[in-house]
Order: sequence, then structure tokens, then C-alpha cells
Amino acid sequence: MITRFLSEVRTSFNPFSPLSKTARTFLAQLPPDARATGMLIKHTILPRTSTQKPLLFVKFKDGKELKLDLETMRSTEVMAEVDRHSRILARKEELSG
Amino acid sequence: MPPRIRLQTRQLKVRIYHHQIPSQPCFYASLATATTPAPPIEQTIHSVSPIARFPPTQPPSHKPPEVRKSQLHREYQSLLKSSPLVLIFQHNNLRAVEWMGIRRELAIALRKVDAELAATGHKDLYADAIKIQIIQTGIFASALRVVEFYNPESTELPTQHPSNPATATLAHGLSRQAHEAASDRKKKLDLAPLLSGPVAVVSFPAVSPQHLKAALSILSPSAPNFPAPKRKANPSYHEPAVQNGIQKLMMLGARVDGKAFDQEGTKWVGGISGGLDGLRGQLVGMLQNVGAGVTNALEGASQSVYFTMEGRKYMMEEAEKGPEEKKGGEEAKPEGEEAKPE
Repeated sequence: MITRFLSEVRTSFNPFSPLSKTARTFLAQLPPDARATGMLIKHTILPRTSTQKPLLFVKFKDGKELKLDLETMRSTEVMAEVDRHSRILARKEELSG
Repeated sequence: MPPRIRLQTRQLKVRIYHHQIPSQPCFYASLATATTPAPPIEQTIHSVSPIARFPPTQPPSHKPPEVRKSQLHREYQSLLKSSPLVLIFQHNNLRAVEWMGIRRELAIALRKVDAELAATGHKDLYADAIKIQIIQTGIFASALRVVEFYNPESTELPTQHPSNPATATLAHGLSRQAHEAASDRKKKLDLAPLLSGPVAVVSFPAVSPQHLKAALSILSPSAPNFPAPKRKANPSYHEPAVQNGIQKLMMLGARVDGKAFDQEGTKWVGGISGGLDGLRGQLVGMLQNVGAGVTNALEGASQSVYFTMEGRKYMMEEAEKGPEEKKGGEEAKPEGEEAKPE
């Protein structure tokens, strides 16, 4: 997953729900120096009884915001969705030098 | 010249046998059967000592014992059985330096708790036994299933077949019985959804709220109840390596006495003031209050009965006395009237 262009990641999930796996996997894929390079990472762990949907909010460096509903999406789909915009940004960066 | 030994022609004939000679039983003295007493009845039902096909330290295992996975499985089982309190964390790409820092800070905080407890005369010092370790989630989940669902003490194990030592009763966690008990997919673990992705556990050898509080305030500090150590008091905790590491640790839940707890539940356990002694004190206080309440209530009932009875008695007496008094009053009045003229 291309994480260079992410500026903000916010998630909220209930770890006792099997649906939380996608959010947790996404957090695990961020590189170890993500916070040091200026990415804002926030996670909210909901209580066990909560029935709230797991949410993922991603903001890119160009200001585009993605709000993903993790209830239906799998980890690979989330990655594809995020990478699609990241690749556009990467191409722009390449062309501008 | 005729032969000296006289042979009859019949003896010279070559004899060909078409059937086997029935073998005669040979009577050797060493094979002679003596009449021995019959063996005890138990020996005939159960074999005396079946030849063990395995050394006692290496009982047969359902999973190949030489494999790392099996050994990890065994290790996790013993970890789960020996630690009633296990915290589960997700670790997101921590670096070795960060792990080192976190482990160091955890050990320092726990030793501090131990020193405080030792000063007050406690003997439950667990600081050196509390460790954070990364686990293999799949194997850990399987080991947890064995620990939860396989109970060799309570379940009926098949007894050893008299002639087949391979059917020996094995109660260990890698045995076939354990595997069968754990592989029942209808039984669900509460903690199963937590055990995926990168997971580390902190295991405590006893449910000790003081130690838990110290560990939580290091690993997942939260403002009012579990504050992180102050910069002045503990400058090494505020090193960038440690702080970066702690940001990447997420507490998911805990297993306390076999039950799954979420973050808030764990904080509640850690927030028991004064540890187990404090809890006992609270319980004693509560029971005393309850006792006082019960005695009050019981006393109240009897008192109220007493008062009503007394009241009734008084009323009856009043009623009995009443007319007399009235009469007396009437009598007195005329007397008074009589007295007045006098």
C-alpha cells in the first residue's frame, strides 16, 4: 500500500466485532515512521457492547478525503481504494519533477 | 560270503512316507508345567504392566512434537493456564528500539509497585514475572480453545485397553482428546475476533490490580485514572523512542479469570483501589452495612409490632379505665359541686 501521500488516518472500531479486522489491518500497514513524517493517526476503540459500524477516514496530502465504510469492504478493497488516489498523486509528483 | 550282520530283506526296503509323522510331545524337564495358582482376577481383566511404547517424559502427541508450532502451542497453553490476567495489545510496526524502551519502562514501573508492596509487608511480588510478548495469533487462538474447552479432570477419558498400551489415557494439551475437544466449531471464543493481526500479550501470574494499574499507565495511559509518569519523575519514559512505541500500541482487551474484558472493563479491574485487600475491605464494609440494615429491619418489625401491641394495650386499658374515670369524674363533679356549696 502506498502510504506516502496520506496525511491523516482516523478509525473507530469495536475490536470484539469480527468487522474490525479491516480497520486493524489498515493500521498495521502504516509504516513505523508514519507519525514522525507528519501523518496524523487517531484510533478510537469502542466498548464491547457497541454496535457502531467500523469507520475509516483517510485524508491525502492534496486535501482529498476518503470515508470508507468497513462493514462491507475487505482489507484488499480498502487498499485498492486508497492506492487509486495515491497513484494519481504519485504520477503528478513524478511529472512535476 | 554272507554279511555278518544279518539283515532281513524287509529291513532293506526303502520306506517312503506319504503322510507326516505325528510329532511326539517331548518331555523335557525344563518345560514341565507345574501347577501354579491362578492369577488374581484383576490381572486377568487389566494387563499388569503393558509395555510402554514411549518414555514417560515424551507421551505420544497428536501434533508432531518436533515442530515449532506444536511447541508454541504447548507454551501458549501453559501461559494461559498460569496467568489469570492477560492483556491483549495490537502492535503496529514497532521497531526493536521501541520494544526495548517499552519493556524497560514496564519493568521499572512494575518494580516500583513491588517495592511499595514490599514496604507494606505484602509478599505478592510479581514484577519479574510480568512480561510483554508477541504471539502467533493462530496458534494462540488454538491454544486458548484447548484451555477453554478441554478439561481432562471433568471429562470422561477412555480408559486404557488391557492389551493395547497405545490407548493410554493422556491428559496433556497436545493429545488427540484435547484436539477433538478444541476442534468443535460450534463453541465460540469471546476473544477470537481479537486474535488476528499483529498481537502482543502481557501476562500476569495473578490478578493484581496494582500491577495492572502500573502496566496500563505505561502501555496505554489515559488521563484521570491511569496517568503516564511525569517527565520529572521518569524522564526515560518521555524519550522519543518509547513515546513513538506507545503511540503504536493499541489495547484491544483482556482475559481476566477466563472471561473476556474490553478496554473499559480492564480499566475497571485496574481501578480497584488498594488492590485485592482494598476490595476485601470494601466487601467487609458492605456486608457490615447490610448486616446492620438487616438487624435494623428485623428489629424495626418487632419494634413496630411491640409498639402497636403496646398502643392497643394502652387503648384497651384506656377504654377499660375510661368509663370508670368518667364515672369518677362524674362522681368527682358532684363532689366538687357538693364541695362548692360547702
